[in-house]
Amino acid sequence: MSVERKPSDSTTASRRDFLRTAGTLAAGAASTAVLSTGVAACAPTQREAAADGTVSAGSRASGFDRAMLDALAEVMLPASIGVAARNDAVAAFVAWTEGYDPVAEEMHGYGYADVRYLPADPAPGWRAQLEALDTLAQRTRHKPFTQLDGQQREGVVSAALRSVRAERLPPPLSAPHIALALLSHWAASPGAWNLALGAQVSPGTCRPLGDAVRAPLPLVKTPTTGATS
Amino acid sequence: MTGARRATAQSTKQIDADILIVGSGITAALMAAHLAEHSTRHITVVEAGTPSTPFAERARARDRYMAYGESPWKSDHLDDQNAFGTTWGFSPNMHVGGLAMHWGGVSPRYSPEDFQLRSQFGVGHDWPFTYDDLDPFYQEAEVRMGVAGEQGPVAMDPRGTPYPLPPLPVNHNLRQLQEFATKAGIATWSTPSAKNSVAQDGRAQCQRCDSCYPVCPTGAKYSPDFTWDALVKSGKVTLLTQSLVRRLEADAKSGRLTRASGNRTDVEGQPFVISARTFVLAAGFVWSPHLLLLSRDSAHPTGLANRSGLVGRYLAGHRNINAYLRLPMELLPGINAQHSLVSKQFMRVPRSSRYLRHDLRLWESSVGREPRWRDDSGAPLFGDAMLRDWQARANGATARVRAYYDVLPDRESKLVLDSTHENRFGDPMPNVSFKDAPESDVLRTWQEEQLRELFRTMAKAGGGEILRMENSANDLGQEHPTGGCRMGHDPATSVVDSWGRAHDHENLWVAGAPAQVTASCCNGTLTFVAVGLRTAAAIAREKAVP
Repeated sequence: MSVERKPSDSTTASRRDFLRTAGTLAAGAASTAVLSTGVAACAPTQREAAADGTVSAGSRASGFDRAMLDALAEVMLPASIGVAARNDAVAAFVAWTEGYDPVAEEMHGYGYADVRYLPADPAPGWRAQLEALDTLAQRTRHKPFTQLDGQQREGVVSAALRSVRAERLPPPLSAPHIALALLSHWAASPGAWNLALGAQVSPGTCRPLGDAVRAPLPLVKTPTTGATS
Repeated sequence: MTGARRATAQSTKQIDADILIVGSGITAALMAAHLAEHSTRHITVVEAGTPSTPFAERARARDRYMAYGESPWKSDHLDDQNAFGTTWGFSPNMHVGGLAMHWGGVSPRYSPEDFQLRSQFGVGHDWPFTYDDLDPFYQEAEVRMGVAGEQGPVAMDPRGTPYPLPPLPVNHNLRQLQEFATKAGIATWSTPSAKNSVAQDGRAQCQRCDSCYPVCPTGAKYSPDFTWDALVKSGKVTLLTQSLVRRLEADAKSGRLTRASGNRTDVEGQPFVISARTFVLAAGFVWSPHLLLLSRDSAHPTGLANRSGLVGRYLAGHRNINAYLRLPMELLPGINAQHSLVSKQFMRVPRSSRYLRHDLRLWESSVGREPRWRDDSGAPLFGDAMLRDWQARANGATARVRAYYDVLPDRESKLVLDSTHENRFGDPMPNVSFKDAPESDVLRTWQEEQLRELFRTMAKAGGGEILRMENSANDLGQEHPTGGCRMGHDPATSVVDSWGRAHDHENLWVAGAPAQVTASCCNGTLTFVAVGLRTAAAIAREKAVP
């Protein structure tokens, strides 16, 4: 969640920006897990969506070099979340990329007479950037990117991102580089927000209404890995 | 072959109706529900668009919206049917349920002052009825939608009966914001919302999924499809989708409307004619006056119901000032970001030398607390360094505060036919241009500065600071727009009477937003519906005409 989750009747020109960046809630993590209520709310499709943890059946192969992507994730994502969580984040990013439907209608909703469309598939460009990181590593460090240590990888990524000056993380769909797309996608997940806030808030997920009156519980440390969840 | 050419090659479908409602949005749905209960006449509803995304697919649609910003409401518009001009605040939705399929559910009432602006403040125009007259219909609207609300201080929030549902909770964040507002001398309470605070009407309790706008995956938020499904199932309503009404026809002598004609909006474009005894326009502030203007004939050269020349005039709305405040408390953004506190304290003001009325809403916010990937020196942040930086930034609190302020409409705030844009059938599309009445125009700069000063005062009272302030998209349009067929007692200065009946055509009614005189300074949907229900009650009282 890298943007203000604007209220329903928000009224600024940034409503469009909000809609554009609503996609920052990660696919794998934010799948609607509607709570069972015993009334009509839980349609079968909702249960399926919650169970398989995916966003859609869009099966466009991203074609990412997975070893490269894992190596990039080791640089970009916090080590403190643990290996398993990092692998999950990479898998969610790949699933999100593969589920993308280029040029689908954007949410227009209240306040806009024009209908706009989502951008073209970013995956080919991101694939090329992944390859370019490896090329840059070979040229400057004389080793494949995957064989560099953490500091060396940071140096290569820094060089590749030198021209991207903005401080804020862009929404993943408009990220100018796969390194930022990967980071932004993870940072948009409810789990990442929980880590930042130090509490089990889980923004953007469906949760019992009554719990809202209490302070969210603190995060729990996993004894074996030290990772928080 | 174009749709228009195809259409001429086809036979015309003939339909007979008792009551014909044009439009299937929230006002139409709840009027139909009222009529189905209070009249034996059959109701036919015509909607230009298709059925909306089925409830069973809504969770998946929500996931794709959250993941990509994809519209959960595919095909909710017709590509060639849109408005032009200053259309901010307008949405070209044409599907069953209309714009209320993705409304936020926020359901405040107007205040008593809204109905008597001229009498009480010497500005604008009075409505032809009072708040007390509308109160029973507000109650009915709240019951039919299932509004969850908290009674505010009675002097600020008068109502005839309690809300039908208990309020959505003042959550962990809002409780702190409420204390802050109290320090600033502002009474706040839980914003009334058409969301189930408890399971009812076969729909779930709200699960604060925080995607009310644009899609509620649980059905806790009221949307008109629930009403249509029940009405169609009951057999009391026939819902014709993909059917665009393009003309209404009136008898030149009696003035009574006789027929509505149009075309299917599918590929074939088959023409249809619907004969009816009663005609109800419930197509919103754009399409209602647009259809009346399109329906001009030799006896009505400026369009139907337009003896006053005011069809399409006095479009009304409001604007806002919005601010983000950094406050010395710990808020955790995401607990329920779409729920807020509300105050009507500034809607109920005494008469003073300068006119300003506004609402006030307060939300949690994540502004300024998001992750970043470069630090203050511009160095990239990787891995745990990025997370530590984010954790430091995430401490503290940001609140969002916003005030809608009342804008009084000018006669030249208008909708006209624009022949430079035509649909597939050659009909000119509407062009909209908002214009403030002179009294609003001269006050605007002062009013907006007053609101900024209020926010500064609030920040100071809470020991905080303003992060940033901004105006709404103001000059591009206005919010929660109304008007275009305004009501009044005098046929020379209004289009419909106080019940929504056209002065010029005894069996034509215009319902909800387009009939309104002004748009207050708060979200309008509940009032649109209440005004529509008042019209429905008048229609139901009529004896059936053979």
